[in-house]
Amino acid sequence: MWNEKPKIVINHRIELFTWILFGIFVFLFFNLWYLSVLQSGLYQEKSERNRIRMIPLQAPRGIITDRYGQILAQDVPRFAAVLLPGSANPEKSRQILEKTIKRKIEEPLRDRYSGEIILASQMSIEEVVMVEETRKELPGVMIEAYPKRIYPPGEDIAHIVGYVGKINSEELKKFGQTNYNNEDVVGKSGIELNYEEFLRGQKGYRKIEVDALGRIVRILDTSFPRFRHTLTLTLDLELQRYCNELLAGKSGVIIVGDPTNGELLAMANQPSFEPNLLVDGVSQDEWNELIENPQNPLTTRSLQALYPPGSIFKLIVGLAAQEANIVSKERTIFCPGYYEYSNRRYPCWRKAGHGRLNYEDALAQSCNVTFYTLGLELGQDRIIDMARRLGFEEDTGIDLPGENHGFLPTSRWKRQKIGEPWYPGDTINLSIGQGYLLVTPFEIFQSVVAISNRGVVYTPHFLKVVQNDKREVIERTLPKVKNRIELKPDIWERLIRGMTKVVVEGTGRACRDLPIPIAGKTGTAQNPHGNDHSWFAGFFPIDNPRYVFVVLVENGGDGSGEAAHRSKDLIQWIYDHRENTLNENG
Amino acid sequence: MKTVKMFPIIILSLNIVGLLAVYSTDPLRGEAVFIQTFFGRQLMWSLLGWLVFWGISRIHYHWFIKLEWMIYLIIILSLIVVLFFGSGDDVGTRRWILFRSVQPSEFSKVGMAVFLAAFLSAQPEDYGSWQLLLKTSFLSIIPTGLIFLEPDLGTALVIIVLWFSALFFCGFQWKKILAVLAGLVGLIPFFWLVLHDYQRKRLLSFFAPQSDPLGTGYNVLQSKITIGAGSFFGKGWLSGTQSQLRFLPAHYTDFIFASWCEQWGFVGGVIILALFFWLIWSIFRIGIETPDLEGKILTTLFGSMFVFQVMINVGMNMGVMPVTGIPLPFISYGGSSLFINMIAMGMVWNIAQSGGNE
Repeated sequence: MWNEKPKIVINHRIELFTWILFGIFVFLFFNLWYLSVLQSGLYQEKSERNRIRMIPLQAPRGIITDRYGQILAQDVPRFAAVLLPGSANPEKSRQILEKTIKRKIEEPLRDRYSGEIILASQMSIEEVVMVEETRKELPGVMIEAYPKRIYPPGEDIAHIVGYVGKINSEELKKFGQTNYNNEDVVGKSGIELNYEEFLRGQKGYRKIEVDALGRIVRILDTSFPRFRHTLTLTLDLELQRYCNELLAGKSGVIIVGDPTNGELLAMANQPSFEPNLLVDGVSQDEWNELIENPQNPLTTRSLQALYPPGSIFKLIVGLAAQEANIVSKERTIFCPGYYEYSNRRYPCWRKAGHGRLNYEDALAQSCNVTFYTLGLELGQDRIIDMARRLGFEEDTGIDLPGENHGFLPTSRWKRQKIGEPWYPGDTINLSIGQGYLLVTPFEIFQSVVAISNRGVVYTPHFLKVVQNDKREVIERTLPKVKNRIELKPDIWERLIRGMTKVVVEGTGRACRDLPIPIAGKTGTAQNPHGNDHSWFAGFFPIDNPRYVFVVLVENGGDGSGEAAHRSKDLIQWIYDHRENTLNENG
Repeated sequence: MKTVKMFPIIILSLNIVGLLAVYSTDPLRGEAVFIQTFFGRQLMWSLLGWLVFWGISRIHYHWFIKLEWMIYLIIILSLIVVLFFGSGDDVGTRRWILFRSVQPSEFSKVGMAVFLAAFLSAQPEDYGSWQLLLKTSFLSIIPTGLIFLEPDLGTALVIIVLWFSALFFCGFQWKKILAVLAGLVGLIPFFWLVLHDYQRKRLLSFFAPQSDPLGTGYNVLQSKITIGAGSFFGKGWLSGTQSQLRFLPAHYTDFIFASWCEQWGFVGGVIILALFFWLIWSIFRIGIETPDLEGKILTTLFGSMFVFQVMINVGMNMGVMPVTGIPLPFISYGGSSLFINMIAMGMVWNIAQSGGNE
């Protein structure tokens, strides 16, 4: 050829380049070796993490029923749309979802502990179908069924059964993070809180393989969640409903229970709240409205609110007087309509006076003058002591959280807190259940239980039976003696005779014409903020009591009125609907 | 030329590996009629490719060399047509003409190799001169710029590599080559301004793939996971969750090497590397053994083109090269790419057989 030089140069450069080529391939070879041999373990693990997702399945809570099997609380399935992390833009997915189900989703997007984003948490089954039909437009979106708590009786049982809600950080700390996580639902009040341990279900999980778009390829393993226990309460739902009806439009409390074993049959608190609204979580405004409502619907009045007991407290003063032997059968006290002590007149509720009354009649007529006299003779210490023995200012042991205690004033307390000595006038007020004395309705109930049962008090409770998921009874609340008040039998009988007279001829005459004789006591609690509160408490059948009740109507006037009339209806209802329970023994 | 008897066999081996790889990563496998699946289309292109290989290898390569300026003109015109009338894809790029059947940028690779070989072989007395260096750079920068504007960063880089290789193999002095290299590096800030956002992100993510595992670094990270998960022997044919479940994006095109390695492991990866080494080494052997200048330059340019593409593609699959969208020759899915590679190989085979005789 005419010029060989360029060819020699090119061949030279090619030879040179072959070495570079060799170097490049050695470099690639060692990189491959590094990745697929040396680092293989690490990348295999990462690859597994890519494709396997653990989806926890929320556990349904146990069912709660009343004593006759009526559902008080149960879980129903609801649906949520959940976006797997990294599979799509959450806002965009939300928009597509909204277009698919043709409605605006109000709730904010939120992250779940596993990183998934909840696009919508309240979806109907129809909407789920719509989403499934347009699956391809929603990559990475999973539909999840989750249990939602509902309370079919709603407001009627709100204060007893309570409600559930999303766990908060304090509860998370309390329950321990190993068993609960931040999406869990826990009991917030009432039975739901008290028996959380039983009610809580066993969580499940689903191990799934997903593709890069988060679509489920297959399910590798499933462990179904299940509820563990069913709780049967001693509550009688129909009776509870009727009690709420009796209080309709008023603020007040009705408690009904069985003194022979401590079972509570009804505990109506008015006003109440709708527990079904609280389950989904209410807005801050709605919550504030509930909390700041002057009627305090969230307060369980029966256990938490404090009232002066009024004349109902005469039962305690009476017991103390009988034990002190200052009311012999022959003794009578004259009531001119007032009691004069150191130049002050303390009035009887009956301005005209009761005339001369023995002890039993004084109870029946709720004569203040008689009890002023007896109170002063006893002194406040012996009255307070008797109240203590009957369980005031002490835990009742009820299986609901948040119980309050009443307040029994003592001379020591008055000296320390008010800086004044205890005056005889204070004793006079105490004798008719006024002054500094405060009680909860449930304490009154417990004291009437003690009287009806002649001194034996069983631990009050709402839980009757716990069954496991095979319907085997694993726990049954047996009657447990909480308190035994040792008094001579005829002391009880004499007090009860007085209480019988209350109904037959005294202040509780409203209950006179019932088909079943009852023993009771009225009370009128002076209320500085408005009308007096109206009390009535009692029990029946008198000799073999099966029912103890307390009715409190706030601002209901004197006890012979609002409270006694409601008691009459209550007893009539029980007689009409629960007659069989009146004759049973033990 | 006894050293390169096996040449078509190597290409066939790579072609078969490529078909297997496309089949195993076909997103439409079993979901569309055969001819519409990616594998079906790739098989058709392969058959067409072999036809072209056979045809081209029967035409003496000097015939192409003589077309010199005609080829150059067609390249420039078709690239201009693409820029103004081409159809694009969803990231806003325009690469196709004639109803998405032809990618002019792909053809410009082969065309530029032929043109440069023709242009340089005509003036061997000027090798090493500044004048020739400037001429070739001017002629190369025009198609490079047009391709860059589509934008197709990968192919633009290939053209630059062709031109750079031409300077290297034609014996330009080291200091001039270094000067050109320095000039290219000096142009980087300018390129940076012209680059699309997604291209900048891709390049940035090469330096810190962990910084944004769900964003731009995702591809690289998933690709490394895919190769690593394959381990020594791989997970087996059609197995492998990374590509089958599509955690690995572009698993049948740019990242097909990783998909292959997930199924066949280190062993499978080495087989591909070995086949490429053998192929490229053979091309350069042909270059050495062919007696005339045109043949030498053309083969070395094709050789360099393959070296560059394999190095970038396999390197980016392993996370040691930036993601630039350069396919793996013969393996990655894509008709245009396979077709022009077969044209190039047909020419090389013709050079090998003709031994320089006219």
